[in-house]
Amino acid sequence: MIEVKGLTKFYKQIRAIEDVSFSVEKGDIVGFLGPNGAGKTTTMKIITGFMPPDSGVAKVAGFDVFESPLEVKKRIGYLPENPPVYNDMTVYDYLKFVAEIKGIESKKIDVEIERVSESCGITDVQKRLIAHLSKGFRQRVGIAQAILGNPEIVIFDEPTIGLDPNQVFEVRTLIKELAKEKTIILSTHILPEVEMTCKKVIVIHKGRIVAKENIEDLLRRRTKISEMTVRVKRFSIELMKQIRDKFNIKVSQPPELENGFNFELENQEDRIEDIAKFIVDGGYGLLEFRPITLSLEDVFRELTTEEKTV
Amino acid sequence: MRNIIAIFKKEFKIYFETPVAYVVFGIFSLISGYFFLQIFSYFQRQSLQFLQYQAAHMLEHMNLNDMVMRPLFLNINVFFLLMIPVITMRLIADEKRLKTYELLMTSPVTTWQIVLGKYLASLSVILVMVLIVFIYPMLLSFFGSEGGLSTGSIEWMPLLTSGIGLFLAGASFAALGIFASSLTESQIISAIVSFGLLLLFWVIGWASAGAEGILKEVLRYLSLLEHLDQFTKGLIEVKDIVYYFSVIYFGLFLTQQSISSQRWR
Repeated sequence: MIEVKGLTKFYKQIRAIEDVSFSVEKGDIVGFLGPNGAGKTTTMKIITGFMPPDSGVAKVAGFDVFESPLEVKKRIGYLPENPPVYNDMTVYDYLKFVAEIKGIESKKIDVEIERVSESCGITDVQKRLIAHLSKGFRQRVGIAQAILGNPEIVIFDEPTIGLDPNQVFEVRTLIKELAKEKTIILSTHILPEVEMTCKKVIVIHKGRIVAKENIEDLLRRRTKISEMTVRVKRFSIELMKQIRDKFNIKVSQPPELENGFNFELENQEDRIEDIAKFIVDGGYGLLEFRPITLSLEDVFRELTTEEKTV
Repeated sequence: MRNIIAIFKKEFKIYFETPVAYVVFGIFSLISGYFFLQIFSYFQRQSLQFLQYQAAHMLEHMNLNDMVMRPLFLNINVFFLLMIPVITMRLIADEKRLKTYELLMTSPVTTWQIVLGKYLASLSVILVMVLIVFIYPMLLSFFGSEGGLSTGSIEWMPLLTSGIGLFLAGASFAALGIFASSLTESQIISAIVSFGLLLLFWVIGWASAGAEGILKEVLRYLSLLEHLDQFTKGLIEVKDIVYYFSVIYFGLFLTQQSISSQRWR
């Protein structure tokens, strides 16, 4: 659906993105992840035809963004970082204007406005001036604008920024709802958002792509070292030492763990059973025995922090 | 065409549903009304003098068209130089500031459609201003004919050509104004640049006074304010029409180029 090859873009001397390539299949919902200033917005602006790259190709539904921009623009709904709304217009007038420039048939415009207003929860504010709406409602109007005309692809640039927790939840639910029938790219630096809504991630850092795959795969691949945490009724430093020596593994006791400890295994998952058996047989009164999973946040930090970049 | 209409309608609404257009019309009526009052009272004083001295041959020259309406139109033309940048300054600059520019540039519309839709909306404001000017001859013909003086009557045809001329002049100012607006996201800079451009195109004609031969003609021809003169005499000349349409096309073309080229920078 979307194919991007070797995109590079400089602003004056500053490199915004370099050699960015990825593809998005029909029906995918992709999280575009990166710290601020990583080049997320630049990439999106190129895909939506807002500006051209210095080199590289972007294709949407088979159309080159710069050879047939109108064909591409017809197929994309785009919510930029700031909702592109006119303060002096009412919500209805604004949506009508967007519907018109998107080339929606005049007979269908009202039905279409009704539909998007309903799914974005803005039916009640249609008659109000956009200037008088709260940030959350403006954002929803922005989303409504993006999905007007039922485009095949929807691109959201940081859709939940500046919203309160309830609004964030609503917007995410809305995006998930949309994901059932559309191809979606969602840029953000808020990780739970990606974990909640996306199946795939593309991680971009300093203008380069550092990872692109399914979230599960990414987590699994990064989790080479599995860490386990153990809690027992009758804890003693002796137990830790015994385990360390017997199984020749690293153990540690984090301060928040009073009657337990952590240990690390390096690709030795078969030993978990032995360790558990050892603790149970020793009569320490096993309470808890669980793996510490690496969160997307850890992976993200690892991928986008200089020292550890792989 | 549909896209141009959609953009025109949006701009038209913003002009006429916010105070912008009404403030412009209010100030314009005030100042043009003051022009009218001054010019007309001068006309009255002169007529009275000629009557006292029984200067019949002078009185023959005293008609409302030549002595009141023509100077009024020419003065308003200068006033347009100041008013029109205010009308056009927000057209593109404000889209950039509000970030709605991204919506326009990622919608399936061409740059020309955006420019034309916006330009036509600014013309609608100018049209209303030209219509406001016609209130004054209407007043004259209503009250002026009562005196039974031959000087009290108005000839409408030269006024019509003056109106067309004034509208074309305004339209060419607006074309340069929208270009200035496309250069920046600040409305103030946009207004200052268009003042500068318009004044430059006005004073370029002054240089013709010192020039000779073909250069004199060229400089005169380039001046923005020279071309209304013939219209106010009731004459529509090809060279004036060509001039106004060239300026309009030039302004809109530059606007389109400036918008397209910004994407490459």
